[in-house]
Amino acid sequence: MKKYFAACMFLAISVSAQAEVTVIVNPSNGATIDKDAIAKIYLGKTKSFSDGTKVNAVGLNSGSTVDEFTANVLGKSSSQYKAYWSKLIFTGKGTPPEALDSEQAVIDFVAANADAIGYVDSSKVTGNVKVVGKF
Amino acid sequence: MKKRLLAVALCCAVNGTAFGADIRINGFASIVAGKATDDNMKLFDYEDDISFSNESMVALQITSDLGDGLSATGQLVARGNEDYDAEFAWAYISYDVSDNLRISAGRMRLPLFRYSDFIEVGYAYRWVRPPTSVYSLSTPAPTGISVLYTSTLGSWDSAIQAVYGRAEGDFKAITNKDDGKLNDITGLNWTLSKDWLTLRASYMVGETTISLNNSASLVGLSTLLKTYGLQEELNKLAIDKDDGTFLGLGFAIDYNNFLLDGEYTEIEAKDSLLPEQSQYYVSVGYRMQDWTVHLTYEGNDDKHPDSRFNKVPATITLANGATVPLSTDPSNPNAPLVRNLLNSALKATHVDTSTLTIGARYDFHPSAAFKIDWSRQDNDLTNQDNDVIAVAIDLVF
Repeated sequence: MKKYFAACMFLAISVSAQAEVTVIVNPSNGATIDKDAIAKIYLGKTKSFSDGTKVNAVGLNSGSTVDEFTANVLGKSSSQYKAYWSKLIFTGKGTPPEALDSEQAVIDFVAANADAIGYVDSSKVTGNVKVVGKF
Repeated sequence: MKKRLLAVALCCAVNGTAFGADIRINGFASIVAGKATDDNMKLFDYEDDISFSNESMVALQITSDLGDGLSATGQLVARGNEDYDAEFAWAYISYDVSDNLRISAGRMRLPLFRYSDFIEVGYAYRWVRPPTSVYSLSTPAPTGISVLYTSTLGSWDSAIQAVYGRAEGDFKAITNKDDGKLNDITGLNWTLSKDWLTLRASYMVGETTISLNNSASLVGLSTLLKTYGLQEELNKLAIDKDDGTFLGLGFAIDYNNFLLDGEYTEIEAKDSLLPEQSQYYVSVGYRMQDWTVHLTYEGNDDKHPDSRFNKVPATITLANGATVPLSTDPSNPNAPLVRNLLNSALKATHVDTSTLTIGARYDFHPSAAFKIDWSRQDNDLTNQDNDVIAVAIDLVF
C-alpha cells in the first residue's frame, strides 16, 4: 500500500514536472518580456510590447498546458481565468487572446507573425520561435 | 418581430464574414432551479413550488471586428421569466481611440454596481445571484454613450468610465412593472485594483419619472389630492421629473484563496413617495481548488423621517365657514382621512429586510460551474421569514 502511495506521489510529481510551460514569441521580436508583462498581456491590461508594437496574443482551448499557464504565470485557475474574461467579453471591455486548437498551431502562428506571443508545453518548442520564459 | 431581428442579425453575421470582418460568437447560459419554503410569500420571485424558469436564461453575443479599433456588438438574451422571448440587451458600436481609451455608443446596461454590467453572467461570480438587497434596483437598459479610460497609476490598475444616456421602459419601483423613464443619465465610475485588492466608486444622476398607474390605490389618492387642490402634496407623491441620485461604494479582496467583498449603495428620488434607501452586503468566501464556499450577509435600510408624514391637514374650512374632515367623503364622518391614506402609501414603500446566504460553487468543467445557495430573508417590519434554496448550472461558451 505504501509503495503504491509512493508510486502515485512519484507519478504526480513527474506529471507536474513534465508540464512546464514555455512562453514564445517570433524570433524577430526584440522586446523585453518578463512574467509580469506576460500576465498583463494575457489579462488584457497591456495591448503593446515594450517597444510599442501591438500584441497579437494566442492561447490554447483547454487542457493541462492551459491550466499550467494560468496557474504559474497568472496565478489563477483556468476557471478563474475564464470567469475573468467573461466579465470583459460580455460588457464590451475586452477581447481575450484567441484560443487555438493545438500547440503546433500556436508554434506555427508565432513563427509566422512578428507581433505574436503564445505558450506551449516546453517539450513542444521548436527552433522556429524564440523562448522568453519557462514557468 | 423578434424572430425576424434574430434572422437579420444572423444574416449580417454570415454576410459579415464575406466582407472580411472578423466575427466572434460568445454566449452564456444559466439553468437555475429554486423553491421557497413559505407557501404564501414570494422570495426572489420563487414560490413553494419548484421553478426552473424564474432565473434561467440563455444569451448569445455576436461581435464583429471591423478593424482599426472599430467593432459592433449585439447581445441577445432570452430569459425564462419572459418565456425565453429573445431581446437585444446590448447593441452598440465601440471605437478604440487608443490602447487606453474606448468610446461606445448604443444600448448598454447601466453600470451602477460592481456586478451590474455582467449581472446575468452567472459564471463570472460565486453566488447563484448577486445579493438582491443591493441588486434589486431594476431599470431598463439605457441608450447612450460610454467612455472608458484605462491606465496604470504606479502599481494600481485604474479604469474610469463616464456614461451619458436615456432609458425608457419597465422599472421595478412600486409594483413589479412600472412604466418610467430616466432622462439625462450622467454617471461616473472608477475602479482601482492592485494585486489582491479592488476598490470601486460609482455616482450617477438622472431625471426620474415613474408612473403610479399600476397601483390602483395610488391612482385614487392622486385624484383625491388633485380634487382638494393639494398640489404640493401631489408633487411629493408623484415620481415626476424628480432628481434621482445613485451612490455606490465597493471593495473586493482575493488573497490566498480567501475572498472578502462588499458594497454599499444609496438611492434617492427627491420629492417622491420613494424613500431615501441604502443597501449593503458583505460576503466572505474560500476557494479550495475547484470548490468555493461562501457566506453573505445583506440588508437594507430606508429612511422614514417623521417629517414625511401628516403633511395633509385633517380638516378643511369651507367657504361658508364650516369645518369638515378632509376625507374621501366629507359628508360621511367614517370616511378615511386623506392624511391617513397618504401616510400609509408612504409607509408601504418602507422595506427593512436582512438576508443570509450560504452557498458553494463547484467548477466541474472548464466552461461550466455548478452552484447551490440557501438564503434566508427576515422581514423586520412584518417579523416574517422565508427561505429559498436554488441550484444552478452556469456556462460560458
